[in-house]
Amino acid sequence: MSPADLTAELEQLHAAALGWALSCCGWDRSAAEDVLQTCYLKLLDGRARFDGRSSLRTFVFGVIVRTAREVRRRAALRRWIPLASLLLGPEAVDGRPDPATALVGADETARLVRALGRLSARQRQVLHLVFYEDLTIAEAAVVAGVSLGTARTHYERGKAALRKLLGEERE
Amino acid sequence: MIERDDHDLRKSFAALRREDAAGTPPFPATVATARAREAAAPGHRALRLAAVLVAVAAVVVVSTWRERNGVRLEIDLATVRWHAPTDFLLKLPGDELLRSVPQLGPRGLDRRTL
Repeated sequence: MSPADLTAELEQLHAAALGWALSCCGWDRSAAEDVLQTCYLKLLDGRARFDGRSSLRTFVFGVIVRTAREVRRRAALRRWIPLASLLLGPEAVDGRPDPATALVGADETARLVRALGRLSARQRQVLHLVFYEDLTIAEAAVVAGVSLGTARTHYERGKAALRKLLGEERE
Repeated sequence: MIERDDHDLRKSFAALRREDAAGTPPFPATVATARAREAAAPGHRALRLAAVLVAVAAVVVVSTWRERNGVRLEIDLATVRWHAPTDFLLKLPGDELLRSVPQLGPRGLDRRTL
């Protein structure tokens, strides 16, 4: 795939990729944008190369998951070793409002975000990929790095747990 | 894969997707910000490399110095050897005969017995 084609494909995936990055970062918009920027650089500079074994969408989502994990690990390291910030570079800063603040006006979505936050990480990932990103369970399994059976279990249990939590939130 | 009775969840996620999409910065701006961030921090890669080089140099200097001054890590095995309280059970009567080599040849033979 030529760099121009890759850029065009990434542009088409951009909104979905940001949604997935938001989910991976617990709806922290600043962290999600940081992850997405790092991810785009990896893809455009060829540090993460698409070999066509899966769809580009699945591949990009996989890169986002790994990048989010790296960013979390770095943030944890920064908390423990102040000197590490010199070596790891500056933390992403932007002036955007926190997602919690942005969602105050939208009760239903705020409830959904809160309920998703109470699910296990795997359940949240699978539900997000299936319902938000319209991926199949098999594709979600590839992105999350689990077997199809495990993804199915997370999907079923996650749905039941999410419905229960949303019901509790409404009461 | 979404079942028919999942309509409620699908609706909630669709609303969330719409809200997220409304605040999505344009793709070119995201890439430009990423490039600008990378360009603004060229020193960090160099700093990381410098830290690794300093660490390697320190290891080389310390090991060379120790070698020159004859400082060696010595371990006295006798002090770290552990004896189990049941070791005496492993001793067989007459096992010293098993651990020594019998002498053969002219010195070992007693002519008087031949």
